[in-house]
Amino acid sequence: MEIRYRIPRPLPLAVAFLVEGFTALLGPSGAGKTTLLKALAGLLPAEGTPYAGLPPERRPIGYLPQNAALFPHLTAWQNVAFALPHLKGADRERAARTWLQRFGLAHRAEHRPRELSGGEARRVALARALARNPELLLLDEPTAGLDRPNRDQVLRAILYAVEEHGVRALVATHDPELAQAADRLAVLDAGRLLQAGPVDAVYRRPATLRVARLLGFENLIPGRVAGYRPPHVEVATEAGVLRVPGDPLPRGTRVVLAVRPEEVLIVREDRPLKPLDAGNTIAGRIHRLRRMGPVVEAEFEGPLRLILRLPRHVQDRLELRPGEPRRVVLKPRYLQLFSEDEEASFSSD
Amino acid sequence: MSEVLLRSLALAATSAGLLLLLGPVIAYLNRRPYPGRSLIEALLLTPLALPPTVLGFYLLLLFAPDGPLARIGAPSLAFTFPGMVVGAALFSLPFAYTAYREAFRALDEDLLETARTLGAGRLRRAREVVFPLVWPGLVSGTLLAFAHALGEFGVVLMVGGNIPGKTQVASTYIYDLVEGLEFAAAHRASLVMLALAFALVYLTRQLEERWRSATGSRGRSRSR
Repeated sequence: MEIRYRIPRPLPLAVAFLVEGFTALLGPSGAGKTTLLKALAGLLPAEGTPYAGLPPERRPIGYLPQNAALFPHLTAWQNVAFALPHLKGADRERAARTWLQRFGLAHRAEHRPRELSGGEARRVALARALARNPELLLLDEPTAGLDRPNRDQVLRAILYAVEEHGVRALVATHDPELAQAADRLAVLDAGRLLQAGPVDAVYRRPATLRVARLLGFENLIPGRVAGYRPPHVEVATEAGVLRVPGDPLPRGTRVVLAVRPEEVLIVREDRPLKPLDAGNTIAGRIHRLRRMGPVVEAEFEGPLRLILRLPRHVQDRLELRPGEPRRVVLKPRYLQLFSEDEEASFSSD
Repeated sequence: MSEVLLRSLALAATSAGLLLLLGPVIAYLNRRPYPGRSLIEALLLTPLALPPTVLGFYLLLLFAPDGPLARIGAPSLAFTFPGMVVGAALFSLPFAYTAYREAFRALDEDLLETARTLGAGRLRRAREVVFPLVWPGLVSGTLLAFAHALGEFGVVLMVGGNIPGKTQVASTYIYDLVEGLEFAAAHRASLVMLALAFALVYLTRQLEERWRSATGSRGRSRSR
């Protein structure tokens, strides 16, 4: 389904992209995500396809605002039944309870919204939206403010809706992890679409530095083009010359290399590196270690300062300690090359 | 006593009913800002700070047999029961209006929008979302206005004139008794009023509590 929308207020916005399966709409606060969802729901005036001109009541959509907006005076099943006005009496209740059951909430049917957890409330709201049999679900930050188990449950509920009921879901989020679970990705910033496409393609090749930042490339290394050795561009940085895949660029061009914290690797000195990777190593010290659930975050200090994130089982094997000298490797295939200009892209593919 | 008490109750009920008829519409329209809203609200709330005698005085001028209303052909309301109803309603308006306004303000806009996306038209939204969420506020505002009108003295005295058998109500009756040094009778009447006032205000509070725990007094919408 192609979405092509132009919105004058409250935030001028113009976008065109495909929504298939689970499509994440990624962007920082204020990018216009909520504005776009509301416009698609018919709650804000907009021009475009699909649905423009139809009132919200007649659009085949299911809309979930950030707080789920369950009716506080109705129980969970009554909330779902609100979406089933064409059914009467016992049939209506049965259908509503069936929907709750599909989302694993049968035991919460008699509870009012204030008695539900944040994750449960959003799943009830999802069941309610789906009960109308929409062709497009519009979910605004469905995992914001949820703890891990609740968040995973909501994510599973979204995937269930998409996979079992064949509905398309456009999910606004600024959570890169949720975005990675999607089929497609649309990156929005300041009312403009920066990039859209299958999630793997966008993650593998962010179009601009701005997109890379939004996708969680936290390590940004400035440098200048020093040469070209096919198929790699050689970039002079404070940590020496690093090689990165790309098309030839004029010598001296200012560029930025980007790498995700998960893809900065500690060199295991007992194992030989491939020659290509060996050229991209940097010596320094582990500066600080922080446990974040199943992940350990490390700060590396050498000629460059880098953030590393490694699974705990890797840390258990490596036994990194603060202050310890170590080498890290920036493997070329995990490096991304960007113009220094946030908005500009090198046409490399 | 029972005749004055009945008249007091009738006065309170009619003026509170009048407010229930008109107040929610005004409160609903005032739920969102528009140019001049604070001016209108200040006007609606002014009776709060007005000596009842001042309101009564102007109403008397308005209602007088040669007053502006009479000149356009309306019957004079001075020293009549309907005149007292208008006075008591105006004087209780701030209490009712404030409660009505809060009821509508607490209404989460997201709920109404989501109801639309669930296919609910204006009528269904009003009946199944707005009404169930605001009625406790409407009832508590009306009860408060009723209690206030029941105890009203100044306006009722000015506009009604405290005519025994015609416009005398409990509050002005007690005043007469005290003036006539009939303390025992004044005591009996006052106790009845005290009990009534307390019961009404207590009922209102109970209602507010129950309402809050049923809907879990949530904050308002924060999305843009």
